Amino acid sequence: MRKIFFVVPILLVVAGIAWAQGGMKKHKPLPYEFGTVTINNYSQQAGMPPVVFDHWVHRQYYTCRLCHVDVGFGMIAGSTKIRSADNMKGYYCGTCHNGEMVHNKKRIFESCAKEYSREEFKRCVKCHTFEKRAAKEDEFYRFSEKMPSERFGNRINWEAAEEKGLIKPVDYLEGVSSKKSHLKVNPDFAIKTKVEGMPDIIFSHKKHTIWNGCELCHPDIFIGVKKGTSKYSMVDIFDGRYCGVCHEKVAFPQTDCQRCHTKPPQG
Amino acid sequence: MKAFMQTGRKIKILAMAGCISLFIVMQAAYGAESWRTEFDATCSQATDAMALSVPELQKLIERCVSLQKIIEREEETVRKVYLKRLQMCKKFYIFVLDSKIREQKPQ
Repeated sequence: MRKIFFVVPILLVVAGIAWAQGGMKKHKPLPYEFGTVTINNYSQQAGMPPVVFDHWVHRQYYTCRLCHVDVGFGMIAGSTKIRSADNMKGYYCGTCHNGEMVHNKKRIFESCAKEYSREEFKRCVKCHTFEKRAAKEDEFYRFSEKMPSERFGNRINWEAAEEKGLIKPVDYLEGVSSKKSHLKVNPDFAIKTKVEGMPDIIFSHKKHTIWNGCELCHPDIFIGVKKGTSKYSMVDIFDGRYCGVCHEKVAFPQTDCQRCHTKPPQG
Repeated sequence: MKAFMQTGRKIKILAMAGCISLFIVMQAAYGAESWRTEFDATCSQATDAMALSVPELQKLIERCVSLQKIIEREEETVRKVYLKRLQMCKKFYIFVLDSKIREQKPQ
């Protein structure tokens, strides 16, 4: 009986530690939250709320390559360490958010300012967001209604949206991008799965290079150019490496198995 | 007469100073312009990298190294943005070059 008084508290402590170290269920982002990145390198130090960046707003207009190669944004949240001074000089967010660039007949609002009036502060909170943004949520649902649907992530099939001409992501910015010749696309290839019965993956270079170019993935994400050089498992991918750098955070999540595992087993 | 000559001299000095400052400003602008042109010419070949020969890729990598030295002298933001962009294209050329060299080696 005495043992119970000794064992039960120990079990409770162990269970508590295990729960605190990841036993909690991970928050599954809602469709409008999927791909949202919070940037807080310097904002709070400057007395501003962190920047809440929505990928869905931007990816309908620009390719991933344009921002992550030509503009120079890193692939990990906060890794670019953007300062308001950088934006004001016309780099990073300020490349487009300069109050001069026009997109879809609309002037893109200016990103940062050294001094601002109470009226201008409304512009600051477009990016430096305090709380849940009901207007943004509404805007997302109004936009997604017109897009081909998908089961996971944003619930938008971006690839189909582009094929249907519903979105036309721009891949070149005058004065920023280097003029490149037309990209010669490498052929698609199959990646054999390790699990019996699981269809092989058909990797489409075309689908990926159209939005990412070459240097966004090679060699930082995928070190080998020859098929099979980069060895990785689903554990690595779920850990946010290889395909997981984009798929789960911005591109459709890995729970959508059938989007990649498309080749039925032979024989 | 003397006063008139002194004014003329002042105008000449001012004009010369103006020309020198204009020359310095234009030279700086042209310098910035020339490395940007070189950057564009070097990194724009990433789309064709797979079709380039080993010497062509080696040459591009050398151009990236030279550019790096110039960009390192630029102001902080330009340096941060363009060094990252340059690293991406340089690493990609090295990556393609390595794979080409490996392909050429007998198995």
